[in-house]
Amino acid sequence: MIRYALTRLALLLLGLFVASALIFLTLRVLPGDVAQLIAGVNATPEQLAAIRERLGLDQPLLAQYAAWLGGIMTGDLGSSQLTGTPVIDELLQKAEVTIPLGLMALTIALLVALPFGVLSAVRRGRPDGTALSVGAQTLAAVPVVWAGMMLVIVFAVWLGWLPAQGFPRDGWDEPGAALRALLLPAITIGVIEGAMLMRFVRSATLQAVGQDYVRTAAAKGLTRTQALLRHGLPNVGLSIITVLGLQVAGIIVGAVVIEQLFGLPGIGRMLVEDVGNRDLPKVQGELLALTGFVLIVGFVVDLAHRVMDPRQREAE
Amino acid sequence: MLRRPTLAAAALLAAGALLLSGCTGNPEPEPTATEITPDPNASVDIRLVLEPGNLDIRETAGAALDQILIDNIYQGLVARTPEQDIVPSLASDYEVSPDGLTYTFTLREGVLFHDGEELTPDDVVWSLEQVRDTETFRDSARLAKVDSITADGQTITLTLSEPDSTLLWNLTGRAGLILEEGDKTDRKTDANGTGPFTLESWKQGDSITFARNEDYWGDKPQVAEVVFSYLPDNQAALTGALAGEFDALTGFDANLTEQIEANGDFAVSLGASTDKGTLAFNSTKAPLDDPRVRQAIRQAIDKESIVTALGAGQTQYGPIPELDPGYEDLSDVAPYDPEAARALLAEAGAENLSLTLTLYSGYGTTVSQILVSNLNDVGITLKVDAVEFPTWLNDVYINQDYDLSFVLHTEARDFENWANPDYYFTYDNPEVQRLYAESVAATDEATAADLLAQAARIVSEDHAADWLYNGASVVAVSTDIAGLPTVNVNERLSVAEVVKSAE
Repeated sequence: MIRYALTRLALLLLGLFVASALIFLTLRVLPGDVAQLIAGVNATPEQLAAIRERLGLDQPLLAQYAAWLGGIMTGDLGSSQLTGTPVIDELLQKAEVTIPLGLMALTIALLVALPFGVLSAVRRGRPDGTALSVGAQTLAAVPVVWAGMMLVIVFAVWLGWLPAQGFPRDGWDEPGAALRALLLPAITIGVIEGAMLMRFVRSATLQAVGQDYVRTAAAKGLTRTQALLRHGLPNVGLSIITVLGLQVAGIIVGAVVIEQLFGLPGIGRMLVEDVGNRDLPKVQGELLALTGFVLIVGFVVDLAHRVMDPRQREAE
Repeated sequence: MLRRPTLAAAALLAAGALLLSGCTGNPEPEPTATEITPDPNASVDIRLVLEPGNLDIRETAGAALDQILIDNIYQGLVARTPEQDIVPSLASDYEVSPDGLTYTFTLREGVLFHDGEELTPDDVVWSLEQVRDTETFRDSARLAKVDSITADGQTITLTLSEPDSTLLWNLTGRAGLILEEGDKTDRKTDANGTGPFTLESWKQGDSITFARNEDYWGDKPQVAEVVFSYLPDNQAALTGALAGEFDALTGFDANLTEQIEANGDFAVSLGASTDKGTLAFNSTKAPLDDPRVRQAIRQAIDKESIVTALGAGQTQYGPIPELDPGYEDLSDVAPYDPEAARALLAEAGAENLSLTLTLYSGYGTTVSQILVSNLNDVGITLKVDAVEFPTWLNDVYINQDYDLSFVLHTEARDFENWANPDYYFTYDNPEVQRLYAESVAATDEATAADLLAQAARIVSEDHAADWLYNGASVVAVSTDIAGLPTVNVNERLSVAEVVKSAE
């Protein structure tokens, strides 16, 4: 187990290193730079050159990459070329919006997917089961932007129950207002991700229903539902955890779109703005942090899988 | 002699306010400051479109900085009104010598910076000298003709090497802002000025909050704070406004007027602006080096239909908009006439042309769709390349690698770009450059404006570019709010006179 964990950790670090190189290089392909943006549409070439020099943009790419990597080794993600603010400060501040948003979305996704997924599997072939299944297919195909706008029109504009956009300026010092601000965006992502997850739950449950151990349990006197809950669910749970790990990346992408739509000052919106400003040190720090987050989630999921599944432990 | 005491300024402001109320798109009279009971503790939330990258008014370009920081936070010796008149600000009075070489300002006393320090004549001399001598400051070149800046008591004297009819105007902009000598404030994220508001906070990616400057030298604002919320999406802005989350929306889409006015809480104002929808031609390469091709493109485009599609603004057929000096109606130069356009293209041997239009994707598709269809009518295939703004800067502005480019140039009085052969307009006409230099050297406003008008006519007659429309400042204002300017608010948005109803 320890050996597995260490191997897996080495893989994680290697992944991060490759990601850092990819992120750095891909961003350099973007046309234009932050110096041009600072200089604007009335600057002389001399002014532009002076700004480039001040920001170190005239340094060779390899030197810039080495400097960035060196910083990361010492725990410094870099800072914005526009404001001088350290990337880590900005990330932590924006995480106050994005992490609760992601957690809420994930919770909603699970609340949608688990009961309805199991139900649609158990009721397969009957009208309600089919309806659930078709509903999930349809919901999963809905564009996030459209769903968000519909929810805003109904719950913010017509009913006036929830805010249409924005986040309270005092943030979590106003917990009620902050939660209300995140509810519609979280529902938008959560329901759509939940509909996708529901299909996995359904097929995993269907698979479990057909397994010998469920049949055996049923033969020993349990009802089919009891057998499924006691013996099927732990197995279903395993595949769900794996899918959930992938789902985290989906929720991050969803947050990028939804934060624009709802005017939420989170990581997704910051990322889009920073790319637009060509504030590359900031963008690469943010992307690396996000990549690291997804990789770490994958790492944890893999370990959890190991711990929960006796078959994998024994295989060692 | 140019001399404008404060009283005249006040009269001008009042006249401007009258003009403003005449501009509103809503037939019902807007509530004015006298009709509503102002709430001194009010917080006013104004939606803006583009957030500044940082707040460094000295070094960082971008109208988003000028828009909120000048007048509200930072001030100069003189200021401009929304109607583009020059009025005294930190100077209580000013005088220009008849030869246009000496500018004398009387500095106000008892003005405090936001950090509590008193504004001194030395701060003024230091600020102006620093702008003039620091090449990396934006607008540094605008003070190039200022030989010396001296202070004698409260009297500040600027001596010029040659007359400069644009100097006073330039002093109302970035070049003229007065900062505190030796101040250690990090201008990128903080601000220390003399204006009616102090910078309370900047939540990057979200909003900037100004608070009332309780020690302001002039009339203090009648609201406690103003929040500028940055929200690029017009639909989100609309739903936010309908849910009561904004008091005003700038940069609004005039086509959404009916929706936002539906429940009677908002009225849309269409103010004049210096926004110029400029279709630049790269005249350094074939086929656009042929003036007949450029003229054909201009005559192929139906400007009226563009204005109709945008739901606001007016046509503009030359480089100078109506708000700026030197404006004249140039609609006779290249009127809409597809038949004539086809004939010109045939004459130039440029049939079945294929051209690429490079524009910033944030401008939407309304204009480019009309261009594609209009040009298709005369046999030109237009490919639209909508790019991010930095890409536009790099490809079009810096490398001048483009056929056609569309940009909404917002800056007022920016004719100089037509007299600069290195500018991305790729326009080089010595006659225009001479007329512009003469206009700058003129010592009275009328002569300067007349010379600009002559130069502008030549620019249009050379078909150096096309002007698709003169944009309007589309502002949706809550009926609880009064005193918000509606003219040219993309350039400047002074919120000093905003009031919010106590009810």
